[in-house]
Amino acid sequence: MNLRPSPTPISRSGGCTLTGALSVTTQVRGAASIIHGPKGCAHHNFSLFHATLPDNDQAVLPDLVSSALGECDIIFGGEDALTRTIRSVCSRDVSTVFVLSTCIVATIGDDVEAVCGRDWPVPVIPVPTAGFFGGTFQDGVNNALIALADAGAPAPTRPCVNIIGEKNLEYEVDENYTEVVRLLTLLGLPVGIRFVRHLSPDDMPALGAAQVSILRDPSLVPVGDHLRERFGTPYIPSFPTGLSDTLAFIRSVAAACRIDPKRALEIEQALQAEILADFADIGDTEGVFCGPVMDTGSSRAAREAADALHIRVSSNREAHPLPVHPVVGTSGVRRMLHRWRRAIHA
Amino acid sequence: MKQIALYGKGGIGKSTTSANLSAALSGMGLDILQIGCDPKRDSTRMLMHGTFIPTVMDLVRERGDADLSLEEIVFKGYNGVRCVEAGGPEPGVGCAGRGIIATFQLLEKFGALKGDVIVYDVLGDVVCGGFAMPMREGYAQEIYLVTSGELMSLYAANNICKAIKRLASRVKSKCRLAGVICNAKGQPKEEELVAEFARRVNSRLIEFIPRDRVVQLAELNRKTVIEYEPASAQAACYRSLATRVMENTSLTIPSPLEIDELETLAYAYI
Repeated sequence: MNLRPSPTPISRSGGCTLTGALSVTTQVRGAASIIHGPKGCAHHNFSLFHATLPDNDQAVLPDLVSSALGECDIIFGGEDALTRTIRSVCSRDVSTVFVLSTCIVATIGDDVEAVCGRDWPVPVIPVPTAGFFGGTFQDGVNNALIALADAGAPAPTRPCVNIIGEKNLEYEVDENYTEVVRLLTLLGLPVGIRFVRHLSPDDMPALGAAQVSILRDPSLVPVGDHLRERFGTPYIPSFPTGLSDTLAFIRSVAAACRIDPKRALEIEQALQAEILADFADIGDTEGVFCGPVMDTGSSRAAREAADALHIRVSSNREAHPLPVHPVVGTSGVRRMLHRWRRAIHA
Repeated sequence: MKQIALYGKGGIGKSTTSANLSAALSGMGLDILQIGCDPKRDSTRMLMHGTFIPTVMDLVRERGDADLSLEEIVFKGYNGVRCVEAGGPEPGVGCAGRGIIATFQLLEKFGALKGDVIVYDVLGDVVCGGFAMPMREGYAQEIYLVTSGELMSLYAANNICKAIKRLASRVKSKCRLAGVICNAKGQPKEEELVAEFARRVNSRLIEFIPRDRVVQLAELNRKTVIEYEPASAQAACYRSLATRVMENTSLTIPSPLEIDELETLAYAYI
């Protein structure tokens, strides 16, 4: 029984497990994702990716295949249709096949794992999605990451960190990654793999080799726990949000990798001071926070930046609107402050 | 056109009762259609002299529903009774309830739901919405519970009362409980117990069918009792049932019992 209903009000993250899982599986190079269910489930998701990926400069459309269940398959069971679909996909040049199940397949009780467990010429990985029965969009993301992680093997640790669970459907995914890389570079740490963004199956051995995993946000903690259990890799639960959180992030990563953070902190603190000085012109004003997001991390980061610039935050609707966006690192705060400047000087 | 459905616990004798009821109704000169709504597809076997007729779902599975014809799914059995078996998936896969819904849609498409009486013989219990299909709008308006005096059989009958009550509360629903048929196991005070159960759920005992070896003999000879031993007391019983079904105008919304009430009732008739 689904005991994890979608959060309300409806948000992008409250969507179907299928979309969440596909946001992961479609980032594996050469992989095909089979949606085991009626055609519509594949169609809606394909449409979403078709509309979203160009915003992230991705022109290659994902390799989605539907097992195209009809009424007869529902009545008599859909395992034969899934077998035919996997066979057809395996006859193409694919590196990996992911199989995602839909609500109706979970309802009629198809044994998807058993079908995937047969002797196929390429890895066929079942992702426990089960449509709405499986939970929310985020559960789909987590389950896909965990399913893929189980295909990796433990490896000797080397000095690098892995980035876990980037939000492939968010607009600033690469900017946020770049910011985290910048912070890691201050500590002299390279990135092992982006799990999962533009991932080549050949890179999978690096999954178990990192000194630490950095999760995109705390909703990925179940994935972090799984990686720690499977590979012994500790994790940082989130990308940094805001100025002080960025400094705390540097300290946490340094501690996990047994690195002295002093020099990195000095550089970052200097950068933050420089940015605040650059935006002194919007200080000593009155502003009111507005969307598009008001989650705890973003709100905290916005409040901290406002305080640093002596902006008085009120609920006065006549005050300058201060848009709150999801921010990652110091650069994220700088982007937000640019938006505030435009709003204040508009 | 009268549309009736027989529901009850698995193995209680629904198919035997349905087939003999259909045979008896046909003996009254009526045009009868019996629809077996159970994947094990043996509802109409005695009317078909032991033949398992092809099921609607078998044909759909093999050929799809596009090029099927009415003649391929409706078979004439004893005394002209028209027989249909819905069929369904192999045990353990798919969705049998959806199979029932698909069968009904196909029968409607062919205009097969016609005649003087349609008898729906439905799988043991209302396990999902698909098996409640015969009770839905446009299908059986009169539901008969088939039960013995055994507690589990009464329990299943009581559960079906819950389903009827739920469906009856819908605005357009005409589904009602038409009565209780006691297909006896030979327990002491069984008729009294089932009659009291029927009264407690706001209905009445329509017919008491005693346990009789002739039922087994008829089945071994692949016939209904009506055909095999028409002069027997058992055949008279089924004919009496047919008459009462045709004359029955007492349709009620049932009042299902709580489990402890049911147990107390059964205990009182030990």
